[in-house]
Amino acid sequence: MKIPTLSGLRGCVMITVRGEHVNHLINALAESGIPVWDIRPTSDHTADMKVLLRDFHALRPLLKRTGCRMHVSRRIGLPFRMVRLYNRKFFAVGMIAFFMILFLLSSLVWNINVTGNEKLATEDVLKVARQAGIKPFQWIFRLDEPDKLSRELSMKLPGTSWVGVERKGTTITIQIVEAAEPEKKPLVEPRHLVSRTDAVVSSIYAEQGRPLVEKNTRVKKGQVLISGILGDGDAHSQAVVAKGEVKGLVWHEYNLQVPLVQKRNVYTGERKNKSYLVLGNRAIQLWGYGKEPFAKSETITEHDPLTWRSIALPIGWMTEKVMEVQEAEETLQQQEAEKLGIQGAIRDILAKYGSDSQIISQKILHEKKENGKVYMKVLFEVEEKIAEELPLVHSQGE
Amino acid sequence: MAQISRRLRKWTNEMLDLPQDVLLDLPRITLVGNKELSVENHRGVRHFSENRMILSLSQGSLEVEGAGLMIRAILPQEVLIEGVINNIKYIGTGESS
Repeated sequence: MKIPTLSGLRGCVMITVRGEHVNHLINALAESGIPVWDIRPTSDHTADMKVLLRDFHALRPLLKRTGCRMHVSRRIGLPFRMVRLYNRKFFAVGMIAFFMILFLLSSLVWNINVTGNEKLATEDVLKVARQAGIKPFQWIFRLDEPDKLSRELSMKLPGTSWVGVERKGTTITIQIVEAAEPEKKPLVEPRHLVSRTDAVVSSIYAEQGRPLVEKNTRVKKGQVLISGILGDGDAHSQAVVAKGEVKGLVWHEYNLQVPLVQKRNVYTGERKNKSYLVLGNRAIQLWGYGKEPFAKSETITEHDPLTWRSIALPIGWMTEKVMEVQEAEETLQQQEAEKLGIQGAIRDILAKYGSDSQIISQKILHEKKENGKVYMKVLFEVEEKIAEELPLVHSQGE
Repeated sequence: MAQISRRLRKWTNEMLDLPQDVLLDLPRITLVGNKELSVENHRGVRHFSENRMILSLSQGSLEVEGAGLMIRAILPQEVLIEGVINNIKYIGTGESS
């Protein structure tokens, strides 16, 4: 109500007054219009009270007149704090420096993220961004407007249809939308398609070029199947890339031998675990001591290093599973052995000449059983791709 | 003269139905529970201690008894007293004076 406003800001003092007639002083203060508050009697002849710092010097004549003495017991408010702060200059300087450093560091670019790029390398984008002024430890206020930057980047980066630059705090995100470009065809030289092997052509389909053979033609190895030369071969000819698919019947002869007694390793299910603690390149065995109880065994080692993000730490865990193995023997009948051998040969053919090869027929030419093995000679008739590329060399002309 | 003016004031007061403190220089005392006492139109502090406080008025004085009394604020015409107030008493305000 009557306490001066903002007394904390203007500064006030708490004084202890001692005298015969403290009430006289209070009356005098009230009459002269000096704001005084929180007057608390502490004993018969003393009282505490608060006055504004502004009125402190006006107190002196009043004290003299009323015969009181006083001393300051507390100083309250901003002016006194400022004096204290002035005495501790370096504290104040440190405080200001802290805020200045905070402000400066927060007006630097710290991170640059590039998102949305699949074909463009992030390094290339960063390089172009660096030219445009986006680089780590760059002042944010020195950067251009984001729309200008994105325009500049999209001009300089080929293969992008849109580039967005967005700043959030100290992080700049460059968002890239790559232009959908048609797939580039591998560059090929003009060529012929020739036969890889002796065969009988079973089908021929020329996508580009001139077919020189027909179905059921017998071809030799190296014979041109689809020619890359269009025209009459003289002045009006043109070299193209011969393309197409030629399939032919090819005969493969296989000499097979299949042992009648097949040996196989079989896990018995018994096993023993060993655990190691890995430190650097040493492993300390912790569990699984003792002699191995198995006559024959196989060991599977699993190393599991501790990782932080994608960095493997030099500390890890290694487990070894020692599995007991038993050798199982199986005796085959001759027919089974034949089947096994032929299956192996067919797998070999498919692997060598393409998985779309087709076995047309197979014939066992010769077969004998000797020394616990079956020896066979088998002829396979296979329909497979026989075309092979042969580049046309210009200087030779044709 | 003084008597005539006082009578005149009393008469106007009755006629115009004005509050007495405005015309007759009487104290206006506001008491909030037993915690806060505001006295307007006082004439200074005569005695002041923790348990007892005497305020001069235009006629006589006002004695306040209590515990932990303190003057929250003081102005030439107005004083606000805080503390636990037990007793408020007028001294020397006979009708005759």
